[in-house]
Amino acid sequence: MSPRGRPPDPVPVYRNPVVKPARPGPSAYEVPLWRSLAVFRFAAVAFAALVALNESAHFDHPLGAAAILLAMALWTVFTSFEFRRRGGPRGVLLVADLAITCACLLGTRLVVPSDDIAFTVPMVWIAGPVISWAVALGRWAAGCAALVISACSVVVRSGIDLTGVTEAGLLLLAGTATGHLVILTARAEQRVQQAAEAQASARERTRLARGIHDSVLQVLALVERRGAEIGGEAAELGRLAGEQGAALRALVVAEAEAAPEAGGWEDLTGALARAAGAAVSFAAPADPVRLPAPAVAEVAAAVAAALDNVARHVGAEAKAWLLLEDEGDHVVVTVRDEGPGIAPGRLAEAAAGGRLGVASSIRGRIEDLGGAVEISSIPGQGTEIEMRVPRR
Amino acid sequence: MSAGSPEPRQGSDADGPAQSTRSEQPAQPIRVLVVDDHPIWRDAVGRDLEAAGYEIVAAVGLGRQAVRVAGSVRPDVVVLDLQLPDLHGVAVIAGLLEALPQVRVLVLSASGEQQDVLDAVKAGATGYLVKSAATAEFVDAVARVAAGDTVFTPGLAGLVLGEFRRLAASPDAGGSVPRLTTRETEVLRLVAKGLSYRQIADRLSLSHRTVQNHVQNTLGKLRLHNRVELVRYALKHGLDEPGD
Repeated sequence: MSPRGRPPDPVPVYRNPVVKPARPGPSAYEVPLWRSLAVFRFAAVAFAALVALNESAHFDHPLGAAAILLAMALWTVFTSFEFRRRGGPRGVLLVADLAITCACLLGTRLVVPSDDIAFTVPMVWIAGPVISWAVALGRWAAGCAALVISACSVVVRSGIDLTGVTEAGLLLLAGTATGHLVILTARAEQRVQQAAEAQASARERTRLARGIHDSVLQVLALVERRGAEIGGEAAELGRLAGEQGAALRALVVAEAEAAPEAGGWEDLTGALARAAGAAVSFAAPADPVRLPAPAVAEVAAAVAAALDNVARHVGAEAKAWLLLEDEGDHVVVTVRDEGPGIAPGRLAEAAAGGRLGVASSIRGRIEDLGGAVEISSIPGQGTEIEMRVPRR
Repeated sequence: MSAGSPEPRQGSDADGPAQSTRSEQPAQPIRVLVVDDHPIWRDAVGRDLEAAGYEIVAAVGLGRQAVRVAGSVRPDVVVLDLQLPDLHGVAVIAGLLEALPQVRVLVLSASGEQQDVLDAVKAGATGYLVKSAATAEFVDAVARVAAGDTVFTPGLAGLVLGEFRRLAASPDAGGSVPRLTTRETEVLRLVAKGLSYRQIADRLSLSHRTVQNHVQNTLGKLRLHNRVELVRYALKHGLDEPGD
């Protein structure tokens, strides 16, 4: 039942994925906002008409009042369609909106007797442009619009009275509050989008890693294996393929685990995988080992120094092992090599002699983090550098 | 030298009963089932094992095929690639052990040590090797797995240590959560630091066999806990309800 003699299946080829860029345009929350604003303005026109009908006996010029109401209704219909068509008003339309609202307001001066200004155009309708400005231009612009309308109101009322002041205050409040809410909504939307993008890129990385596994790594490992069997130049090629395979594996692990963590904490596993590189055996728990970002950088630097020391003193091809353990209140990192070892007392001697070697550089970094370093060397079993860092 | 392959060197100095079994009974070679979706790998693995005197009873590319043929070809050892197109490696291992409770599973993986490997070991695999391991190392690992030994890489030891610590720290850590003895932790840490079983035996003044047993025990505890968890899960999610 040997598999030989069968035509080989095609080796899966990894293809670069096509990533779609995010579509620019009006943000998603704005469209429903304009729609509800249109509903609000229609309701306001209906309310104004009802009030006018109720008070029609007091009007000097009922026809003028009807004309103003008609203008209000037409403008409301027009803006509703225009806002929807353009996905929100811009520039001229906003100015026109404010101007026409003010004109309607000022027009009431002509149809209502000057001694009876108990009501003008209901505030709910004149609030329309203020809210439009708030959504389109922000709270400061909305505040300005509210002041312009309040100024017109002063003209209509021929002075400043309590109702006018209350009205102006409510307009200001509505404008600035809506503008502020819009900013908050935009920010929230941006966060949601960022989170979605991060999630998508994490998924993409996982997919990428699987793609690499299924094609590139398989072939590299096979070249390494066959090369070693054939020998000679092929063995050299195989060795190179093996090195690249190991480097790629380390990269995939490091990339997958380098995702930023909340609150300035980072995963030490990814940082150590990068520091370890290809030639070092790296053992770690499956779950992320989180430490504050500066501590992660320091521990990774200490490990890099230790590995560098192995390469320098034992040889560039020397094997080294790196173990990361999470003990809850402590994180323990051990670097081991199988060099000739360090004679007992030699490290202490070097330190006492003031020679700042690798030991002091490692010790310095770890002790600054409140941790401790223990170096042990057993003849025939190499040297171990154990670093314990408290989690705080 | 296979640069970067996180293999321990215990393979080179292992003197398990596998080799002696083979040399005493050459008429009965160890029967191996190779499961890998890459034909080039099936070829290479099969060739190496045949050259070393093993009998390849079948070489298949799909997990379901493996589970189906295992009952009839009755392999001693299954060499399994974890990433198969049809079934998850954990499901393949469960299926294989159901069909043949005595079969030994050696997991081969091209990627680094990940959660998948830990899950495979919890499901019942007794050996794990990365694909970049040297041929001699691989052949030796098959022999040791066939003899009932566990084949650990330092990376896998690190994962197992992490798993026990995770279990101990989990909120429902009560009597049912397995714990390592001090000795077992000591042995696992040394494996994770790349020491061979021989070196560990020397350092701790134990016999080679005792070190091997400690490593095996850690896996046994994880596997038992895994089964308890599965049963608990099944009970919680309605074991008695008619399934598909």
